[in-house]
Amino acid sequence: MNTILTNITAGEATPQVRMRVVRTKWAHSLLTFLMVCGPGLIVMEADNDAGAVSTYIQAGAQYGSSLLWLLVLLLPIAYFIQEMVVRLGIATGEGHAAMIYKRFGKWWGRFSLVDLQLVNFLTLVTEFAAIHLAFRTMCIPPQIGVPMAAIALIVLVVTGSYLRWERTVIFLCLLDLAWLFLAFRLRPPMAEIARGAAWPSLPAGGLTAGLVFLVIAIVGTTIAPWQLFFQQSCVADKRLRFSDLKWARLDTLIGACFTIVVAACMMLAGNASRANGLHFTDPAQLAADLGAVAGPAVRAGILLLMINAAVLGTTAISLSSAWAYGEVRGWPHSLQMPMREAPGFYAVYIGCIAAAAAIVLIPGAPLQLIIVSVQVLAGIMLPSAIIFLQLLLNDKELLGQEFCNKPWNNRVNWTIIVLLFVLSLVLAAQVVLPNLFPAG
Amino acid sequence: MTSLTENRKLDQGAENFFQVVHPLDDLPEQKLNTANLGPMSMTRSVRFSLLALRAYLVLMMLLVFYHVLGIAGVFGGR
Repeated sequence: MNTILTNITAGEATPQVRMRVVRTKWAHSLLTFLMVCGPGLIVMEADNDAGAVSTYIQAGAQYGSSLLWLLVLLLPIAYFIQEMVVRLGIATGEGHAAMIYKRFGKWWGRFSLVDLQLVNFLTLVTEFAAIHLAFRTMCIPPQIGVPMAAIALIVLVVTGSYLRWERTVIFLCLLDLAWLFLAFRLRPPMAEIARGAAWPSLPAGGLTAGLVFLVIAIVGTTIAPWQLFFQQSCVADKRLRFSDLKWARLDTLIGACFTIVVAACMMLAGNASRANGLHFTDPAQLAADLGAVAGPAVRAGILLLMINAAVLGTTAISLSSAWAYGEVRGWPHSLQMPMREAPGFYAVYIGCIAAAAAIVLIPGAPLQLIIVSVQVLAGIMLPSAIIFLQLLLNDKELLGQEFCNKPWNNRVNWTIIVLLFVLSLVLAAQVVLPNLFPAG
Repeated sequence: MTSLTENRKLDQGAENFFQVVHPLDDLPEQKLNTANLGPMSMTRSVRFSLLALRAYLVLMMLLVFYHVLGIAGVFGGR
């Protein structure tokens, strides 16, 4: 493989384009995919953030492998939703917030932006709360660990290179492969797993308030509103071309499969604690308890992966906020720009991280209240965010026939929207009528 | 629709060469024009649905606020 620089005539300008030359078709396909790959894998894996680690482990600790079928069901849903975002991003070269502002007017534009920023910020606080918890369990003072993590997250972005950020984050995503090792180390019951994944059924105990809340939390943590904004902006910032669409779809599909496999491994870690008769309080406590049973490697592994999950979630969520704000305000907003050229964009990113890190260091901060608010707000916002996505993807004036949804796309998406609205209404009903479902 | 610098296949003598350009190294391509579109034209039913959605979201926000106040112990009994 050779790298060459060549002049390509585009009108009157003759800029230099750096390209690689390969001799075989498969090498060409592989290299093109590797160059396009990134936004899909990152958005999916960053979705397995600290809240997701806690939710999946709790699901495993309470219900074993009997909710694995839900993850299998969520895989195509996550892919279909994010694929629409990829199409929209490649076709327009613009972010999701900009599209909502342009096509639905100021009210919806402002509402989406404020809602996104609010949910994102509260989620960031939960990410840092997880980092705080993990450092404390590892006997590292959180007063040192949390600011160090915040500084590392800021340095990751301010280098003015999209590629540097992307490669580092992909490396962090691949670290999540260690969940597979951990799940295998905890000797998972294979027959039970196969049954739980292939056969949708209610766990023993039936439909209880706890189960309903956990199912909604799993759906809410697997498909989150920030993902729509993040991936479209990321695709636009990476300047993916029309010809990259099929590779971007593959990237998203691989990311969806990867994230679901990792989520299943988290559930299996929870299942191992249940099998050993351990009581679940939080993931850090579970890591400490499992460490006593399965060895210090498992303890350290879960705690480090918890920090990794929070770091991944933080960089992706903060970027979705910064991109969205930049798009709506008309500020320069690209990771390719140095800080002096996009000060507003970087200020939002740094401000979000610094404020969230500072809040968790305040003694007695109402973290439980924030965690509950995040889950509820995200649950409310998701169906409406997907409705806008669905309307944009049926906007022939904007996208033409080529990029618009096909009838089968619409059938699938409306089914997903109805399902999400039902879950959102169940969540609301549970808030109003806490005794709607039996306690459990 | 094709990219200006879409990945190309060159014939040079008997050998085939394939060129691959990273999206960030490529020349910017012409995207669909969104600048002059303005707000989306909607049918009456879509407009009504969005109004209903707006009311639903406002109601849900109030519910969340009520729920958070409840958790914070403002109502005393919970």
